[in-house]
Amino acid sequence: MSRESAAVEKHREAPRKGSPSLPDYRGYFGEFGGRFVSETLMPALLELEEAFRSAWRDSSFRKEFYGMLAEYSGRPTPLYLAESLSREMGGARIWLKREDLNHTGAHKITNAVGQALLARRMGKSRLIAETGAGQHGVATATVAAKLGFSCQIYMGSEDVRRQALNVFRMKLLGATVSPVDLGGRTLKDAISEALRDWSRTVGETHYLLGTAFGPHPFPLMVRTFQSVIGQEARRQFLRRVGALPEALVACVGGGSNAIGLFHPFVKDAGVRMYGVEAGGISISPGLHAARFAGGSVGVLQGTRTYVLQNPDGQIENTHSVSAGLDYSAVGPELAYYRNAGRIVFDSVGDDEALEAFRTLSRTEGIIPALESSHAVAYALRLARTLPRESNILVNLSGRGDKDVMEVSRILEGKGERL
Amino acid sequence: MRVAVPDRSTMDKKPFRRGVSPPALIPYLVAGDPDLATTRRYLRLAASSGVFAVELGVPFSDPTADGPVIQEAARRSLRHETALSELLDWLGTIPPEELPPLYLMTYFNLFHHMGVESFCKKARSTGRVAGVVIPDLSFEDSRDYRPLFRSFGINLVGFVSPTTPVDRARRIVREARGFVYYVGLMGTTGASLSITPAVRDMVGQLKQWTALPVCLGFGVNEPRMAREILGFADGVIVGSRLVREEEDPGLWEKTFLEFVAECRKAEPRQ
Repeated sequence: MSRESAAVEKHREAPRKGSPSLPDYRGYFGEFGGRFVSETLMPALLELEEAFRSAWRDSSFRKEFYGMLAEYSGRPTPLYLAESLSREMGGARIWLKREDLNHTGAHKITNAVGQALLARRMGKSRLIAETGAGQHGVATATVAAKLGFSCQIYMGSEDVRRQALNVFRMKLLGATVSPVDLGGRTLKDAISEALRDWSRTVGETHYLLGTAFGPHPFPLMVRTFQSVIGQEARRQFLRRVGALPEALVACVGGGSNAIGLFHPFVKDAGVRMYGVEAGGISISPGLHAARFAGGSVGVLQGTRTYVLQNPDGQIENTHSVSAGLDYSAVGPELAYYRNAGRIVFDSVGDDEALEAFRTLSRTEGIIPALESSHAVAYALRLARTLPRESNILVNLSGRGDKDVMEVSRILEGKGERL
Repeated sequence: MRVAVPDRSTMDKKPFRRGVSPPALIPYLVAGDPDLATTRRYLRLAASSGVFAVELGVPFSDPTADGPVIQEAARRSLRHETALSELLDWLGTIPPEELPPLYLMTYFNLFHHMGVESFCKKARSTGRVAGVVIPDLSFEDSRDYRPLFRSFGINLVGFVSPTTPVDRARRIVREARGFVYYVGLMGTTGASLSITPAVRDMVGQLKQWTALPVCLGFGVNEPRMAREILGFADGVIVGSRLVREEEDPGLWEKTFLEFVAECRKAEPRQ
């Protein structure tokens, strides 16, 4: 037996799933989660949960899902050893899970495919979604075009400004983009507006929520679809290296790329997990999006989790250079694993993320999304503290094409020229 | 800690009896819009007009069930940092006879942040709060909190919507306290209600299951519509139509009194 297959064999016995009992029947991961929505939406959530559970039990649905991921999105995505980057850091080896090579440029398409197939099975004719960086909006508009749904995307007007390229892509794909001019004009406000739309149109509309957040069953459903990231990575790692990585690193906005990578490794006790939040300018109100560093437990947009809020319980606005991490709350399952001590959270600020954006571009010829740049930056910190033979796996959740204009604007503002 | 309980809670003023009590008008106000002095003036007028209750909105930064009119009013009120705990203190300073029975309406995070038990203790000790209306506390999640509200005598209003299946509506109504809030349309506050046979049927159905007043709200935008609703429902909730005038006391009072006059013409009915 070859070394690789022996390793695969050895780990086959190890449990592959996270706690099968979570979430519980009311959608709670321990004390986090739930379904804090208006009564108008509750029957739709109950129907969605039932439809999801029955679809996921149905092998023909799973086959359709994985088939579309393979043929349409290009899965499995490669596992890539970033040799030059690792050499330059002089520490542990850094591996990238290349989610940026998915169709439309980020991991978001996986969840969009899963939910759109489910919506079709439920007989819905219209998809709505919120988007921050625009990647989820593009992914939703894409599957809507392919599967024949009408599509409306809600996007904060601040995000519309800084992600103009993605706005154009969504329109090209046939979606209507509605700028949201409320609150901080970012992701949180787009979610509120999408929830309002859904409560008017719930009969024919599926709300294709883009992250492992919101009311049950969304956190469960999005995690289930995105877990393909971790399942592939785990298999690929065992084949290539013959062991599991010492550490996993992912950026965390709502948390879908993180829980998607982490979940299949949760029971692998030797694998440490690091979630990276947006530190923005500094950890003071309104200047960051590090919910675990500056937040407390609250209830927002359907779920009980860590939330950035002021002493009166009003939700605080956030700031991050990356629109996809610019959000006041975090997925309930990540909150659960954080308090259970299974996932460690830390934050990376705007400047450090921008530096990593440039470093990865220069050393590997890979331009990462600003969101993913936070994870890369943290991996660089971590690599320096670990021996050369250890392995760090970073979820490179998206590519940076959408960000180049914004980065160029920021660099110019700082008087820097490339 | 002992909680001081006043002799007469505002909630006991007028227990509802179907067929005997006058039809219920419940105006909705955003506390602190444009300021608390004006809110106090509106509450005094509502009390002297003999409304069944006032739904007093406490502004929240992310009101997902509200349309543009109430969102905007909440934003105005939040400019001077209207907060739940301070609002309870303020209510405690107003003589009870100047207040109608009050139902505080806001999103669950404000109660959660204060602590549901702390809220209940304080609300109870002021003796000014009959109950709470929490649009994003689902029937399922409310299970964890119902015993607390009940033990402090704070009514947790039950929501039924056009999407609620019949057997679910029955369970909601059974656990409701204070009144049943039937959301007559799908969507957010401030849309326009149309009184369809389905709406009438559902109200009729709900009335058979509960002795609590069954009140219809969302999209009631003129006094005649309110009166028409009182022809088959026990009560009517008027929100955005009044909130729209909150910045102008003259206009608010005029509009409010039009609703009062129209609703007085409705007869108590079974």
